[in-house]
Amino acid sequence: MKAPLRILVVDDEAIVRDSLGGWFRQDGHSVDTADSAREALRRCEPGRYDIALLDIKMAGMDGLELQSRLLAADPALTIIMMTAYASVDTAVRAMKAGAYDYIVKPFDPDDLSILVKRAAEQRSLRAENQRLKQSLDTAAAPPPIVGASAAIRHVLDLVQTVSATEATVLVSGESGTGKELVARAIHAASPRRYGPLVVVNCGALPEGILESELFGHEAGAFTGARARHQGKFELADGGTIFLDEVGELSPKVQVELLRVLEDKAVTRLGARAPVKTDFRVVAATNRDLQERVKAGAFREDLYWRLNVFPLALPALRERSEDVRPLAEHFLTRFTASMSRKPIRLADEAAAALAAYHWPGNVRELQNAIERAVVVTRGDVLEASALPLAVTSGPSHPASGSLEEVERAHVEAMLRETGWNVSQAARVLAVDRATLYNKIRRWGLKRPVDA
Amino acid sequence: MRSVELHALGGLAPERARTLAARLSRRVGAPCRVAEAGAGPVALLPGRDQTDADALLAWLESQPVRDAVVLGVTAQDLAIPIFTFVFGRARSGGQAAVVSLARLDPAFYGLPADEELLVRRGVRELLHELGHLARLPHCDHPECLMRFAGSVEKADLRGAEFCDSCAERLPDWMRRGSP
Repeated sequence: MKAPLRILVVDDEAIVRDSLGGWFRQDGHSVDTADSAREALRRCEPGRYDIALLDIKMAGMDGLELQSRLLAADPALTIIMMTAYASVDTAVRAMKAGAYDYIVKPFDPDDLSILVKRAAEQRSLRAENQRLKQSLDTAAAPPPIVGASAAIRHVLDLVQTVSATEATVLVSGESGTGKELVARAIHAASPRRYGPLVVVNCGALPEGILESELFGHEAGAFTGARARHQGKFELADGGTIFLDEVGELSPKVQVELLRVLEDKAVTRLGARAPVKTDFRVVAATNRDLQERVKAGAFREDLYWRLNVFPLALPALRERSEDVRPLAEHFLTRFTASMSRKPIRLADEAAAALAAYHWPGNVRELQNAIERAVVVTRGDVLEASALPLAVTSGPSHPASGSLEEVERAHVEAMLRETGWNVSQAARVLAVDRATLYNKIRRWGLKRPVDA
Repeated sequence: MRSVELHALGGLAPERARTLAARLSRRVGAPCRVAEAGAGPVALLPGRDQTDADALLAWLESQPVRDAVVLGVTAQDLAIPIFTFVFGRARSGGQAAVVSLARLDPAFYGLPADEELLVRRGVRELLHELGHLARLPHCDHPECLMRFAGSVEKADLRGAEFCDSCAERLPDWMRRGSP
C-alpha cells in the first residue's frame, strides 16, 4: 500500500468538499476540508499537509491569494488549483506562482487520480533529492584543511570568501602544499558543488594530447580519433575545472585556453562551431608565473585572466606549528584505513617532525606518516619509524635560495635512488611529471655510470 | 445472515437485473433478490444529461430493509457535480451502493453489443462497491478488484478477484461464493 497522503480540500461548495473528501478517503488518504480561505489558513501549518486542492473562485480571499499565503506558511506544500473553464488563465497564473498543476471542473476521475499520484511522486522525489544532497554533502566533502597557524587561517578565510563567487582563482604554492585540496574546498563550498569538479594536470601531458583532453575532438580530427570525444571544459559544464600546473602550458595551448576563458565556449579539434559551456576555473601553479611572464614564457593576458583572485599557499616550514596537528591527523586517518588500533605520536618523533624543513611539504609529511604507520608494531610511533631524511640532520641547510635548496634536495634524492625517477618522485612526494619538469628546468643530467 | 437486494433503476431491463443478481449471488454466496419494480427518483444533474449518483444513493439508503445491503443498478450514465462521470458510488461502511452500466457497455464506445461482457463488468463493479461497503479503501494491487479504475479499460485490467489482503478484510457473508 502506498503511503497515505494528508490532503486539504478548500472549496466554498459543500458538494465539492464532500465528494472529494469521500473520494480521497476511499483511496486511503487522510482528508481535511475547509469552506473558506480563512479556515484553510487556520488549519495549515508547516508539514501538516502534503497536498492542498484550492478552488480558485471563493468569496473573500480567492485561491491565488490563498496559495501565496499557504506557501509562505509551508513552502513544501504541493498545491493543485481547481478551476472552471472560464478561469484557466488564472490557473496558469497560479502555476507560474508556484502551484504544482491545475484541474478543470468537473474532473475526469482518471485525470484527478493521475494528477494526485504524480504530485505524490514529485513530493517523494523532492524529498529523496534533498536526502541525496545531504548525503552528497557529507560524502563529497573534501578532506579537511588541517592547521591552526595564522597562515593557514588566512588561507581558509580566503577560501570561504571566494567560494561564494564565480571568480577565477589562481592557487600558488610549492609542490605538496595542498593546491588541489584548496581547489576541492572552493568547489565544495561553492554554489556549483552539485556539479562536476574536473581535474586536469596540465604538466603531465604532451601538448597534442592535452589539447584533445581540454577541448575535445571530433571523429577523424586526427589519426586515431575514431569517435567524438568531449573535452574537460565540456565535462565541467555546471561545475568547476581545476587546471593544475598551469605554468607548464605550451604557448599554443595558452592561446587556446585564453580564447576558451574569454568566450566561455570550446571548439573541439576538428569541429567548426564552438560549444557553450558553463564552468568556473581554479588554476594552480608551483612556478612564479609573474617571472614566467617577464621571461616571455607565459602570456601576460592569460596570466591576468587567471590571476583574478590569487591565493598563495604557505610552505609547511612557514607554518611549523601545524606540523604536529597535521601529523596526528594523518596518523588517525592511516590507522583507521589500515584497521589498526590507535597509535600515539612519541614526543621525540614529534620533535623530529618539527625540526625537519619539509621540502615536499604536507604531501611529504603525509607519506612519512603513512610509511611510519606501516612499520610501527606497537601503539607508539617512535622517531625511528620516520624516514631517514627526517631524523638525520642537518635539517635546514645553512644557506642558499629556496630554489637552490630544492634543487639540491631533488639531486640528492635522484642520486639516492640511482636516478629511478618513479622512486625519487615517491620519496619527494611529487608526481613523476612534476619531477621531470624540475629535471628539465634545472638541466639535471643522469650520470653516465648511474 | 446478510443478503443483497438489487434495485433495477433508470430503465434497466428486468432480465438483465435478474442475471446480475444470480451471478452476484454465486460470487458472494449469499441470497440476492431483485426488488419489486419501483419508480426510483429521476435526478438529472443541472445542465448535464447524467443522473446524480448521490441522489440515487440517498434514495437507496432510505429503502427499508433488514439485514440486507441495497444495491441499485441503472442503465443511465451516473455522475456527481465534481466528476465527469462515476461507474458507481458507495459510502464506506454504508448500507447501499449504486452502479451504472452505461459506460460498462461496449455500445457506449461504438463497439458491438456484448451482453456477457456487460454482465461480467457489472458484477465486478457491484463487487467493488460492496468492498467499499465493507470499509475497504482502494488498493494498489494491480489485479485487485478494489484498485481504482477511471476508465473501462482500467476496470477490465484490474481482474475479477480481491487480492489476498483485501479478501481477508471482507465480511464472512461475502466470502462464501465461488469465483
